[in-house]
Amino acid sequence: MEAMDINSIHDMLYALRDPAGLPFYPWAFFGVGILTWAMHFFAVALVLGGIAVALWGLHRNTPYWQRLAYAMANVSKIAVSAAIVLGVAPLLAVQVYYDPMWYTSNVLSAYWVIGFILILIVAYSAHYVFYFRNKENPQRARAIWSIIVAGAGYVLAGFIMHSLSYQTLSPEQWLNWYAPGGHIDNSGTRLHDFNLWRFGYWLALSVPITGAYMMAYATYWSTRRDQDHAWLDFVYQLGARWALWGSVMAAALLVAYFASLPEKLSAYRSSIWALLWLAATLLPGVIALRARNRAFRCGYRPVLGATLGMLLVAIGREMVRYYAIIPYYDFMDYKVNLDWFTTGVFGFTFLVLGASTLGYLLTVAWKAGKTEGVYQASDTMHLWGRFNLVLIIFWTLGYFGLMAIRTF
Amino acid sequence: MDWIALYPTWYDPAMGSGYWIALIATIHVVFSHASVGAAIFFAWLINKAYREDRPELLTFVKRYGLFLLIFSYVMGSITGPGIWYSTTVGSPKGISALIHSFVWKWATEWVFFVIEVVGVYMLIYLVGKVDKRTHTLVAFIFAGASYATMMLILGILSFMMWPGSPEWFAKGGTFYSFFGPNTFAQLLIRTGFAMAITAVVGSIVASAFKDAELKREVLRKLAAFGLLGSVIMFVFYFWYLHTIPENAVEVFRNRMPGWFYPAVVTSYGLMVIYFLTTLFNTRILNPVLASIMLVVVTFMGLFPTEITRESMRKPYVAGQYVYSNQIIARDVPGMDIHAELPKVAEKGILKVHPFLPENYRTITDENRLEVGRQIAIIMCSNCHQVTRTEGIRPLTDYLGGVTDVARIKRYLQGTVVAGNIMYMPRIPLKPAELDALAAYLADLNAHAH
Repeated sequence: MEAMDINSIHDMLYALRDPAGLPFYPWAFFGVGILTWAMHFFAVALVLGGIAVALWGLHRNTPYWQRLAYAMANVSKIAVSAAIVLGVAPLLAVQVYYDPMWYTSNVLSAYWVIGFILILIVAYSAHYVFYFRNKENPQRARAIWSIIVAGAGYVLAGFIMHSLSYQTLSPEQWLNWYAPGGHIDNSGTRLHDFNLWRFGYWLALSVPITGAYMMAYATYWSTRRDQDHAWLDFVYQLGARWALWGSVMAAALLVAYFASLPEKLSAYRSSIWALLWLAATLLPGVIALRARNRAFRCGYRPVLGATLGMLLVAIGREMVRYYAIIPYYDFMDYKVNLDWFTTGVFGFTFLVLGASTLGYLLTVAWKAGKTEGVYQASDTMHLWGRFNLVLIIFWTLGYFGLMAIRTF
Repeated sequence: MDWIALYPTWYDPAMGSGYWIALIATIHVVFSHASVGAAIFFAWLINKAYREDRPELLTFVKRYGLFLLIFSYVMGSITGPGIWYSTTVGSPKGISALIHSFVWKWATEWVFFVIEVVGVYMLIYLVGKVDKRTHTLVAFIFAGASYATMMLILGILSFMMWPGSPEWFAKGGTFYSFFGPNTFAQLLIRTGFAMAITAVVGSIVASAFKDAELKREVLRKLAAFGLLGSVIMFVFYFWYLHTIPENAVEVFRNRMPGWFYPAVVTSYGLMVIYFLTTLFNTRILNPVLASIMLVVVTFMGLFPTEITRESMRKPYVAGQYVYSNQIIARDVPGMDIHAELPKVAEKGILKVHPFLPENYRTITDENRLEVGRQIAIIMCSNCHQVTRTEGIRPLTDYLGGVTDVARIKRYLQGTVVAGNIMYMPRIPLKPAELDALAAYLADLNAHAH
């Protein structure tokens, strides 16, 4: 069966757009999507990298490695929570401005979409099994199978997401996938497209990010006198090596991915965005190289570099989709039904209530971790906490006030 | 091109996409409500523990919190987006309508969700590591954020049934679509349910305590909390019934499986008896009994309720304008949304569906049965089994084994084609399309008998 022509694809994609439009301008959702995807993938990288460190550490089975293995298994467990909660936002964003692509790709592989949920539940549960069986940090690790199952599950779930995302890039193939040989297949049992170089890149990117995180982790605990500084130094140096060589490995896979891009994306290959993506991948490695001989004095720089790098990677990734789709579809001309009420509520909640409350909670967590014994907050911190509570109460009263007005 | 917004159709002959959605939603509802109720209960208990200098109460908070982390923040946080995923593949236009109207509401909920997740970790892991005031403040922030997530999602859930106010059709905007009596009543019912399910889940943890005095005290507090929740549910249920549209009441009374209503009433009754028993005698309670109670509430109470909620909004899936078969059935001038139904009636579904290969667009003797099958899948499979005679509401059940194509055509014409059934979408097929569908159904019946 022949692929669809450019005009038919254009007409189809525009027909599929939701007629309700957007409550605000598309660029805002585009920006939110990129920013939150970067945050989401940072957490995903810690999940994969943390498990890799844990498995390698259990394999090495020396006291330092063993201790690091337990610590990183726990970090990756919490990172799963972060990845899920942060993943909600880019998932929301992509449905808003690329709804024709996202929904079609999902429906075409529907069983895998349902499978993604079930696999994630099994993997996360297995992760907790490892945590509970090894809570006391035993000399010989128990239930190693559980962390292997967790890791394998996350990789498989990641592959499904990669494939669903990759399928969005080829609208000209959708009808072929849905009706191969002119016979409709409603089963949703197949993943139709993927790129192993690209998927390998995402897996490899978890190495430098986890390395940068380990450097920050060691730096954070280094100010506490009750910590084992020799072990922290071991973690720091190991992190530096992971950040450096991981960046190189990821960059090599990225180049291979660029080389594998189809003809229709050749313009992307020579664009500034490809260069930006490559530079961003190398960024944590370059910073780690400079920071590794300065011990804990520069220990947070690599993770800051990784964060910035991740944001640039997210931009580079999104631009691939833009280049793939733009012949048929421009998200910037999505219909707008301006809704200042809901935009205002979100703006207040995100920029005032959310920023202040999360700032407070994370400050408390940071300070409590730094304190030996019980952390006694200052009066200013208490005032900040109460202020956040007042904001939440104000928000809730506003909600019920409007509800009462609209109901009675 | 005259295409309308229709995606490919995923057809699962075993369960049907609707049941996948309901299954994942049921799991999520249990876990998410348990987390909201527990957040409120924790705030009260932590405050009490510090005010009365009762550190043993914090032991419960820590243990229940850890249980909750797995229970609600593993299963709950995965099945939350899981509902999006399942509706994406089962009802893409339905979820798209909700996403596009309420994207900022969902984003606002996300802000509270992030606060909630950070809060629950801090609540558990900072017991004994921060001063009392700070820990209490974190507990109240966690409770407020957790309840806010429910306040937000309820407006969107209610919109699936009925826009907050009818003015929305003319004026558009979330101010009119989000707030309204249906949202309010549902919020209050779910507040009660969150309290009740928290008490049931909490009793699994507390009934395992070795310290008899602590066990008795915590279980009794939980039972009182759960009973209060049960009363709230009962009271506001009757208000809720007055806030739903006429077609929903019709489906609720006449179209649900016979076992649903008795099962829900029985599970509610058992839950109240469970709380009353716990209130007066905590010694008989153990984790196994408490777990059984949770299973009863989930599968006898919640699952039928979720299926009913899914069904009550039929023939629509969102805002009383998107049909369950994904076609936009009416204009919404306030949002500049135009009905797709007239175009389907004028051109025929085979001409306006973007995801059909050319060989399906014209009916011939050779492809009649296959095209008829595909029309059945597009138009009916969201709610019906269309390729077998057993399963979820099989189409053949409505045809009484008839194999006469002309009779089936007359039946379809008098019912769904004309739009004469209140809870069914109008399916305006062209004569050739109707012919193909009838031929396919006759063939299905012939092979079944």
